[in-house]
Amino acid sequence: MKVIIAGAGAVGTHLAKMLSGERHSITLIDESEERLMKLSSNFDLLTVKDSPTSIFALKNAGVEDADLFVAVMPEESRNITACMFANNLGAKKTVARIDNPEYLIPKNADFLKTLGIHSLIYPEMLAARELLDAIRTTWLRQWWEFCGGTLVLIGTKMRENSQILNVPLSELGDSDIPFHVVAIRRGNETIIPGGRDMLRENDMAYFTTPKEHVPGIRTLVGKDHYPEMRNVFIMGGSRIAVRVSQYAPESMRIKIIEKDLERCQWLTEKCDDDTLIINGDGSDMDFLREEDIKNAQAFVALTGNSETNILACLAAKQLGAGKTVAEVENMDYISMADSMDISTIINKKKIAASCIYQMMLDADVENVKCLTFANADVAEFVVKEGAYITKHPIKSMGLPKGITIGGMLRNDKGMLVTGATQIQAGDHVVVFCLENMIGKAERFFR
Amino acid sequence: MINVRMICRIMGFLLYIEAGILTVCSCFGYAFHETDMLPFLWSALATAVVGGILSFVGRNAERRLGRRDGYFIVVVAWILFSIFGMLPFLISGYISNVTDAFFETMSGFTTTGATILKDVEILPHGLMFWRCLTQWIGGLGIVFFTIAVLPVFGVGGMKLFAAEATGTSYQKISPRIEVTARWIWSIYLLLTLVEIGLLCLAGMNWFDSVCHALATTATGGFSNCNASVAAFHSPLIEYIIMAFMFLSGVNFTLLYFSLFRFDFRKLWRNTEVRYYIFIVLFLGTFIGLGLFFTSPFTFEESFRQAFFQVISVLTTTGFETAEFHRWTQLLWACLPLIMFFGACSGSTSGGIKCIRLAIMVKATRNQFRRILHPNAVLPIRISGQVISQDIRSAVLGFTFVYIFIVACAWFLLIAFGIHYRDSFGLVMCCISNVGAALGVDGPISDLGSISVAAKWLCSFLMLIGRLELFSVLLLLSPTFWTKR
Repeated sequence: MKVIIAGAGAVGTHLAKMLSGERHSITLIDESEERLMKLSSNFDLLTVKDSPTSIFALKNAGVEDADLFVAVMPEESRNITACMFANNLGAKKTVARIDNPEYLIPKNADFLKTLGIHSLIYPEMLAARELLDAIRTTWLRQWWEFCGGTLVLIGTKMRENSQILNVPLSELGDSDIPFHVVAIRRGNETIIPGGRDMLRENDMAYFTTPKEHVPGIRTLVGKDHYPEMRNVFIMGGSRIAVRVSQYAPESMRIKIIEKDLERCQWLTEKCDDDTLIINGDGSDMDFLREEDIKNAQAFVALTGNSETNILACLAAKQLGAGKTVAEVENMDYISMADSMDISTIINKKKIAASCIYQMMLDADVENVKCLTFANADVAEFVVKEGAYITKHPIKSMGLPKGITIGGMLRNDKGMLVTGATQIQAGDHVVVFCLENMIGKAERFFR
Repeated sequence: MINVRMICRIMGFLLYIEAGILTVCSCFGYAFHETDMLPFLWSALATAVVGGILSFVGRNAERRLGRRDGYFIVVVAWILFSIFGMLPFLISGYISNVTDAFFETMSGFTTTGATILKDVEILPHGLMFWRCLTQWIGGLGIVFFTIAVLPVFGVGGMKLFAAEATGTSYQKISPRIEVTARWIWSIYLLLTLVEIGLLCLAGMNWFDSVCHALATTATGGFSNCNASVAAFHSPLIEYIIMAFMFLSGVNFTLLYFSLFRFDFRKLWRNTEVRYYIFIVLFLGTFIGLGLFFTSPFTFEESFRQAFFQVISVLTTTGFETAEFHRWTQLLWACLPLIMFFGACSGSTSGGIKCIRLAIMVKATRNQFRRILHPNAVLPIRISGQVISQDIRSAVLGFTFVYIFIVACAWFLLIAFGIHYRDSFGLVMCCISNVGAALGVDGPISDLGSISVAAKWLCSFLMLIGRLELFSVLLLLSPTFWTKR
């Protein structure tokens, strides 16, 4: 597949690295020699040093036979221009990174299509959604609805009072509450568990379960005494912070702490009255105490600086904040932050890249979610007539290690998959697998 | 400094327009075979002659209007219009002295509606019509009227408009100020015509309908009857006038979007309109219930009176249907309070306007939040838009000056020998352009008896109230006249 990426910024670079590992032919266009140099010498891709809105440069990059054109420059208008050019010059599909929620309104989609822009990607919005999923409830670290919202994936840290520790997973299946453990994160290692694996203390466990049984899981893992999510502190008035304040449920009271007064004024124009904007330094401990951080169920650090975010989260945790979320754009810090007991890490690049990656996979895959903590991919497949997986029940299928089925949607009804389940054509199956194993998994469903 | 020749030229034009209107009024004298035809013609002639002299002086004027010129023109235009507008009263002899005639005319142009005449019913038709017409023209502003009729100001139109417009900001309908002015005036005209029609259908004779409609949509309050609207003894007429007073209190730009572009969302989402509707409903219901329980009126009657009075005073019209001084003290005490508020900006009403009230309410609420969160950045949102710090301070400054002037004028009127409660009612009635002065014994019917100095003070209050203080006060400030 021939992919052209315009803009070697954070998202573009990450996407290029990710795709070049999968034997796609990648061309990266950017004006900065410096940024391109770092990539072209280390990865298997072609670089073009020129403006991505130059017609000559686009032709030079071979846009006429490109399967996908991705514009991820920082400026929205340049992305749109580049996509329009690329599509008219022959690119089959275009994706533009935007920064304006107006473009996402469904009735504008057709209009954009006529201009030659097929898909939009809004990293700030995706990050805000992911963040909210992470802090929706105090006892969960991950919340993701799939199969039309009937099944949920929840991630929670196992504490010592849980009833299901140190029992092989195959013996847990008898309980009244249907659930399936799809991934375990232990230290730096991600395990896609089989029947003999068991959960241990301090494991991050990912369950899939029908939505109505979530409270049951809460009891199982011994987290009934956790308070409701009410007060959320956000440090740093970034664009993600604005989106979070817009999408947050009404029961959540958000305080945004921003150092720069002018930025505060800008925030007041973007947020509504329920969001309190405070001019101050989120790394000032006295200031946080004065603003009553003890009563905050979550502290979210979204400044542009990864180190500041990590440290601020640690400080907030010491002051008594419940959950901490840090935006970490530096990939190498992610595992480190994990070991420091920061509840959730938000990485805009990874979120954006996985979203674009999903657009690239065949139409059979409806949804890919990149789990930031576990190095796992989640994909939703529609099972085709005559696919290999429809021939036997799951237990005699011999799925390779590192791949598990989290649930499926049959006739608009979400259900979990057990060893005896026989998958049928037309089912939507949600597969969890270790990074880069999606391709392997795909073979079973064709 | 100010461009004297250009100002003379524009004043000349303005006086031509007034001369034209006066001539129209003389037609009534002719049609009804009354004595006021000639006075009108003489007045028109005098106005036209002065206008001619002024435009002769300004014939070679440099076509340039500065900010100072704009403010100067607007303030002086209002005074000149009142000076020439009083001529028919003086020449016809129905008002014998200059003070009273000027007061009456200024009360008309500023849509105050306070009258020094003991008996308005003896006036000939021409003069009655002229009184109501002055209100109608003054309703949206004399200069604004001229912009809509004649494009004499050219590029300076916007500066003049800014000096005359009410409220904190103005939303344009069209990029060109003349077109905006024409649309706004069409709505005004439409409202007036519809009301004339409805009043005729409700059984009022056509002349009274025209006069009352002009006075209602201008939120003026001159009536052809001594007993105001109560004289008609018709609930239907009261309901019609009530509805049109209410509509005239809404921002005309929003009315434009609702009536001509069917965009009702703008109207509904507008913070100011919400405050306006809330005040009307809340106080109307409160007084209505109060009346029902404390007076012999029926349920319908007490609510009709309550809502009529609340709307009449809030929109600063000043029509009366009830002897509200007979109400329980608690109930009528609400009225001076809402006199202070006024209706929406960009309407024909006076007072400090609901938008300033909304901003102050929100600023006060923020003050409490700030005590708990000293570092919080607390915005004030009006209709979803954050308003700037400049507007905030302008509003607070405006309100302070307003209250300061009310206090000073109150003091002065007491010094002129008016009872302190009457004088407070009088100050509020003049500066908010209401016209129904609340005195010890109900509406002060006998304004004619107050002293000459008090009348001039009241005329001045009406003018600064109508032009929202700063335009007039600017002319009185030394900075306006220093060369800088």
